[in-house]
Order: sequence, then structure tokens, then C-alpha cells
Amino acid sequence: MCSDVTRRDLMRALGALGVMSAFPLSGLAAGKGEAPFSVESLPPLEGELTLYLGRGEGGLYENVINAIRDRNPDLSLQVRRGPTVALANTIVAEAEAGARQADLFWAVDSGSLGLVSDAGLATALPDSLGEGLREGFRYDYWAPVSGRVRTLPFNTDRLSLGDIPEDIMALPDSGLSVGWAPAYGSFQSFVTAMRLLQGEKATREWLRAMKGRARQYAGEFGAVMGVSRGEVDVGLANHYYTLRLKAGQPDAPVSLAMTRDDAGSLLNASGAMALTDRPVAVNFIRYLLTREVQEYLVQEAYEIPMVNGVALPEGLPDQERIQPPSLDLTRLADLRPTLELMRDTGVL
Amino acid sequence: MKNHTFTAFRGVLLAAALVALPFTAAADGEAGDHVKDLKSHLGNYESEVNRFVERVEKLVGRYAEQGPDAAETDDLIELWEQVRIHSAVEVNQAPVYASIWQGIYGVKEAIDQEKDIATVRAEQKALESALWQALGVVKMAAQHQADGGHDDDSTESSASGSATVDEIVAQLDEVTVEHAEGETEEATELVHDTYMNLFEGIEGALIEQDAELVESLEKDFNVTLPKLLENGASVSEVTNRVDAMKDKLARAQELLKKAEESQGDVF
Repeated sequence: MCSDVTRRDLMRALGALGVMSAFPLSGLAAGKGEAPFSVESLPPLEGELTLYLGRGEGGLYENVINAIRDRNPDLSLQVRRGPTVALANTIVAEAEAGARQADLFWAVDSGSLGLVSDAGLATALPDSLGEGLREGFRYDYWAPVSGRVRTLPFNTDRLSLGDIPEDIMALPDSGLSVGWAPAYGSFQSFVTAMRLLQGEKATREWLRAMKGRARQYAGEFGAVMGVSRGEVDVGLANHYYTLRLKAGQPDAPVSLAMTRDDAGSLLNASGAMALTDRPVAVNFIRYLLTREVQEYLVQEAYEIPMVNGVALPEGLPDQERIQPPSLDLTRLADLRPTLELMRDTGVL
Repeated sequence: MKNHTFTAFRGVLLAAALVALPFTAAADGEAGDHVKDLKSHLGNYESEVNRFVERVEKLVGRYAEQGPDAAETDDLIELWEQVRIHSAVEVNQAPVYASIWQGIYGVKEAIDQEKDIATVRAEQKALESALWQALGVVKMAAQHQADGGHDDDSTESSASGSATVDEIVAQLDEVTVEHAEGETEEATELVHDTYMNLFEGIEGALIEQDAELVESLEKDFNVTLPKLLENGASVSEVTNRVDAMKDKLARAQELLKKAEESQGDVF
């Protein structure tokens, strides 16, 4: 590989994007903007296109790609798959070598998109493409496709929604036992967000206080299962684990609570960017933002739709209640201080 | 062969199972030029397998007749590191490559632990079987190469959830190889990467089908297997854990296939 990318590079790249921040308090509640458009309204895709696809929700992204292929017989689509960061590195390295191949990049994390954008390889998206997106999620160089949000799954045999604090900083004093998976990337992003929003001192105190009442699990799904079994009262996990569990085991005694406007309700998104100015690349992204694709990802992957007018996955709180913090996501890529903090407090 | 060589080549030659970064792989030539012309070296490879099998037979014979002090089991590892078929197998078929390493350590550990001769012979048989199977793989690869096969990254291949399980199994085989080669850090990192890049992509659909299975595999990936590696567990212990994970993954694959049949249409 011609260029190795560190988290610090990602952070710098995200900073250069300058648009990946500020999920407003009313982020998901805002319904202003265009209604979702149907695939029927889109022009056919023609010609050759090479897509670099970061690993996502198993075969579901593949199904979306295949459906677009089937609908556009005159499109010759090549797909290269791999870990998102590796593909971002590849895109940059190929450009440095004068051998650009990718026309599109569909990534599972925004940091990798920032890296490519920072290298000056992304094509600015037309304003019209962002009109259907939720407010606070309209960017110049990439389009969010689907999202994931931090939640507090809780045991419904023991607790009701009103028992769960709406302030993540109040959790240590709630008297509740908590299941968590500190080694998880999503958890570390959550702690990073807390560090940025509340400061290092408050985060250190929070971690120390929580450590005494937290039970560690091998992963965040394990934490949700622990909640379901009653081993702990509350978990800290991305939303889809609980929704998936409830889909398979509707009687599982677990439901979702959310904090308001703090790290406990952090939201992140996958996204796509064009790497060529050929219209077919932007039009491909339009397909990802159609009502049909968005609904498919909601129904099959329980992801959060990023266009207006598409319902959230069943089992999530109402969109008015989902209030992610206003936070410069570019700074989330700087994990080192977070890891040091977690090690200092014995959490990691 | 050292780990970095393996890493460099696998991206090119293991097709969709591993992401290809062609210019990365081409920069490293440690596998030897012979792998670029397998067909011309098939005779050498076959001779090496015969020689290896004879050496194993002599080793086991000495153990049977004179006991463990007469059997230098480390010689097996050194010999395997030296033969050229090693790299020819390595760049073409990870599962068989892993089986050879497991076979070598099967014999070595059985002798070092002074197991009965029947047990040692059983390990010897497994190793020989893996070696001959590997030669077959190399012959097929040589034919493919001679027919003008390309070492691309199969950009057209689809990566369904059930197909991803095959990739995970291949990665776990590599973990056993890295561990056998003493590359603990690389083996642990590979477990982590496999979990992050592959298993996390399929666990969603599995949770609905069998939540306990997902939880169990999550623990295997994040706790049990890494701890075995970090604590210097024997090759057989690691292999047994990986085999147990493979059994779980086989069930996961069945469930994913069923789930894929019931998925709705996008448009």
C-alpha cells in the first residue's frame, strides 16, 4: 500500500470536510425538505462504473447493488469489496499512482469518506441530491445512506422507561447495573463524544463511577443479551442489536431508552461519494437514496433512513425523541486520548 | 515463509476471500519466482513432497524404535520452511496450507508429549494426506496459470452473507497458520479483523435466527480465541477452538441461506 492511514489522518481528513458535524437537537425530528423520491423517477444508468464497497450489512448491500444492476441492463458495474479503511487507502494510493479506478465509494464509516475527500478526490454533489436528506445530514462531498444510533437497552421485567435517566452523565448515580463492551469501536466513539462534550475530567469521573457498577461483555450484542437475561438492568449499545433480538424473540424482556442531546444518543452514518464527474456516478447515489432502497435497509437491516419521509425501524423511539448531540464528528476520529483515559481508569 | 510474505500475496491470489491491493502484493517477491511458473516446477514440488514424507516416516520410525530423544521434531518445521512447495501452496490455497501446519504440529506435539505410536501414526497419516492434497491444489493452480488465468480480485463475485462465512472460515485457517509460525500478534490481529470486517456484517441477520449462537461466536472472537493465542496455547488447542468455531459457523451458514431466501426485493 502506498499510503497508510492512521486515525489521526482520518481526523484531519474529516476536519477538511468541515461538514460532518452538528447533528442538531431536532435532527431526526426535522421533516422539512423534499419527500422521498421513487426509483421510478430516476433516469436509467448507462455505461461503465466501478464501485468500491466497504463491508456493510452482510449481503444486504449486495442485494441493493444487484437490484440496481437488474434494473439497469446497460450499466456495466464493477464492484471491489473490502474493509472500508483499506479501500479508502486504495483509492488514495491509486490516485497517487495515476491509476484511478473507483468512480464511487460506499463506506460504512464517515472517517474513510473524509480521508478520500481530504485527498481532493471527491466530486461535489449537486444541491438537488441533498434536498431529500434529513436536515443536519446534507454534505457537500458525500451523501449519508443509513445511520446507527447509541441507545440504552433496558430490562422491562425490572424497569420502565421512566426509570432510565435521560442524561448519560446521571447513569452512575441511577443505582442501575449496566452491561457494556469497552473494547468495541462504537463504545469508544461514545466515550470520545463524552470527552469532547463533557470534558476529560467529567468523563474520567463517569468512567470510574461506572466501572463499579458495570459488567463487561465480549461484545455489545452480548451486553444486550445480558440485559435480556436480567444479568444487568441496562446496556450501552447501538440500536440495531436490540431490534434484531426483538425480531427473533418478541417476548424478550428488553426495550430501548435514549438519552437526550449527549454522547448517549450519538448518531453516525454510512455514506457514498462520487469520485468522477460523470453523471452516472451521482445518479447511482440517487438510487441509494430512493424510498425503495431506504425502506429496504430499514426493513432488512434495521438501519436509520437518512431521507425524509421514510419511517424509522419498528421498536425505536419516535424520531422526535431521537436527539443526537450537536458534535463535530471529525473529532471522534481522535481515539488516542480516549483509550488512554479508559486505560487510566481501568475500564480497558 | 515469513508472515509478511503471506500477507502480501494472499490479497492477490485468494480472490474474493480477501481484498486485493494488487500493487501492494506485486512489490514483494519473497515467495520466489517459481510461483509465477508453477507448471515448470511441478516435478520439483512432487519430489519435495516425497522427500518430506520420507523424512516424517524416518522421524516416526526413530521414535517408535528409540524413543523421543531420537526424534528431533523441530526438523519438520525447518524442512517445511525450506521447501519451495511451501510458498506454492501458501499463495494458492489457505485451508490446505493450514492443514499442513496443523499436521506438522500434530506429529510434533504427539512425539514431544510421548504419545503412543498409534496416535503418532494417525497424526503422520493426516500430515501426509494434507501434503498430497496440497500437491493436487498446486497442480490445478499450475493448469489455471498456464491457461492464462488472472490473479484479479474477482470484482464481479458477490459477497452474500452465507458466502461471507466461507471467508471467515478461511481467515480462521490463516489464524492457525500464523499461530503455528509463532506470529502471535499477527494471529490475534487477524482474529480481530475477521470479526470486525466479516462477522459483524453477518451477525445482524443471525441474531434473529439464533441469538445464542451469535453471542457464543462473539465471545469466541473477542475473548476465547484471542486469550488462547496470547497465552501461548498449543497448536492443537488453538486448532480445536477454531474447529469448534467452524462448527458454529456451519450452522450460521445454514441459517443465513434460509434468511436470504426470505429476504424481500429492493425494488
